[in-house]
Amino acid sequence: MLEATDLMVFYENMLALNNISISCRDNQIVGVFGANSAGKSTLMYSLSGIMLDIRKKEKMAGGERITLTGQLTFQGKDIMDMKPSDRARAGIVLCPERRRLFKESSVMENLRIGGYLATKAQARESLDYVMTLFPALQKMTKRLAGFLSGGEQQMVAIGRALMAQPKILLLDEPLMGLSPLMQATLIRAVKKIQEQSDISIIVSEQYARPVFPIVDYAYILENGAAVMEGTREELMDNPDVKSAYFGMS
Amino acid sequence: MEILVYGTINSVSLALMGLGFAMVYGISRVPNFAHGALYIICGFVTWTILQKLGLPYVVAIFLSLAVNGILGILMYRFILIRVRGMNISEIISSYAIGLAILEGLRYGGFRGMTYTLPVFMEGMVFIGGVPVDYHRIIMVIVGILLVGGLWLFTHYTRLGLALQGMAQDERAALMLGIDSDFMAMLAMGFGAVLAGVAATMILPLGNIVVESGYHVLIMSIAVCIVGGLGSWIGAFFAAFIIGFAQILTVVFIGSHFQMVVALLAIILTLILKPSGLFGQQKELEDRV
Repeated sequence: MLEATDLMVFYENMLALNNISISCRDNQIVGVFGANSAGKSTLMYSLSGIMLDIRKKEKMAGGERITLTGQLTFQGKDIMDMKPSDRARAGIVLCPERRRLFKESSVMENLRIGGYLATKAQARESLDYVMTLFPALQKMTKRLAGFLSGGEQQMVAIGRALMAQPKILLLDEPLMGLSPLMQATLIRAVKKIQEQSDISIIVSEQYARPVFPIVDYAYILENGAAVMEGTREELMDNPDVKSAYFGMS
Repeated sequence: MEILVYGTINSVSLALMGLGFAMVYGISRVPNFAHGALYIICGFVTWTILQKLGLPYVVAIFLSLAVNGILGILMYRFILIRVRGMNISEIISSYAIGLAILEGLRYGGFRGMTYTLPVFMEGMVFIGGVPVDYHRIIMVIVGILLVGGLWLFTHYTRLGLALQGMAQDERAALMLGIDSDFMAMLAMGFGAVLAGVAATMILPLGNIVVESGYHVLIMSIAVCIVGGLGSWIGAFFAAFIIGFAQILTVVFIGSHFQMVVALLAIILTLILKPSGLFGQQKELEDRV
């Protein structure tokens, strides 16, 4: 469904992504794990096209020169130069790191802004779905998004992304800074999204442990390169992975 | 009572002037220094359509609003789009456009006292013993309807919500498929139309002179700074504060101090609460 080949991203001369090839098949959950600055967010931005916007803004401000090379195809079409808004329209929706909610708008408004691309019927249907997926949101539709707790904000962020009718959902560190209980709730929700729809999901996270049980396939990034990849079972059995990402020896 | 009535009228006219500026800045972060020029050009276009083409007043108004909207969109599409995100360049280029329009009009012979627009309705009523003409009442009603309409628009329509989202976090909006350049262009068009609405409401009360373009620009900047840049609700409230302050100054001090009030308000706001009434601290750095 989404396939990146030899993706490279430079910030000036710093290599942020080094020859990464990843792919996500229909209705699969793909995990991307790695420490801070391993290139997870850069990868997510490149896949969703936000990197093109960042590049444009940096260029205008005379800041860092960003170079992107490689191939990127989505449903068989080359999307390397597609604008981020068009990619979202095509079905690649990013739920960004640190959530980036519209803090001064209510929860309901956040969700409805998310439904910008949806038709009225789609929006209604997705809204119902989000509310059944995250029943906790039902009681707080009128509250300002900025005043919610981290977990609630993340629910809104995922809900907002779902409103945009994604075919593939990119979740960038959805569990960051949340309690283990909240992490479990969100991970269950992500699994449900996969089971109850035909959406594919790529989820990046620093710690593999909470996400690992639901991924079908995973990549491990180090310094911008994919150092290991495999199905869940393959990686589980790998002693290096165990020690580095699960704290087991 | 006089203070109350004329304060309200003055405030609403300030709000009308400032709304377009506040809206454009709030959504696209472009300080549109050509706002005053758009205001004046709408007046002259209306005048031209009315006097030279002889079309009915209502048609002339709507035509010139449309012209203004298109002008705003063109301005964004061909000039401002290249500099968006670079604050200084935005200011310089939009101010240059404004200057070019205003001075071009002056050069083109649009000066003197001969340009006036008719009021919508002749006559006056007494409100609490204060004489008020119908046109000013219409202006207040239109102003309040406009603010109400804008509120409904930004909270209940798909496009309005998208604009609201973009105003808060452009990149997050982009991730949801909201094309920021297209939205900024629309915002510019809206802003230009709002400047036009202000012009059609306010200009019939006096002569159309090029100088008032600068006046409108200063007033809208004052209103927006006091209200908090980027918050059009803030601009609306700030218009009332400055509007009443101006009328109080006229009544108790003298009418030639009226203009000082707005400038003083800018300075005081920047000293006491730089983010304005409804602005946020984070916007401090992109203050003009």
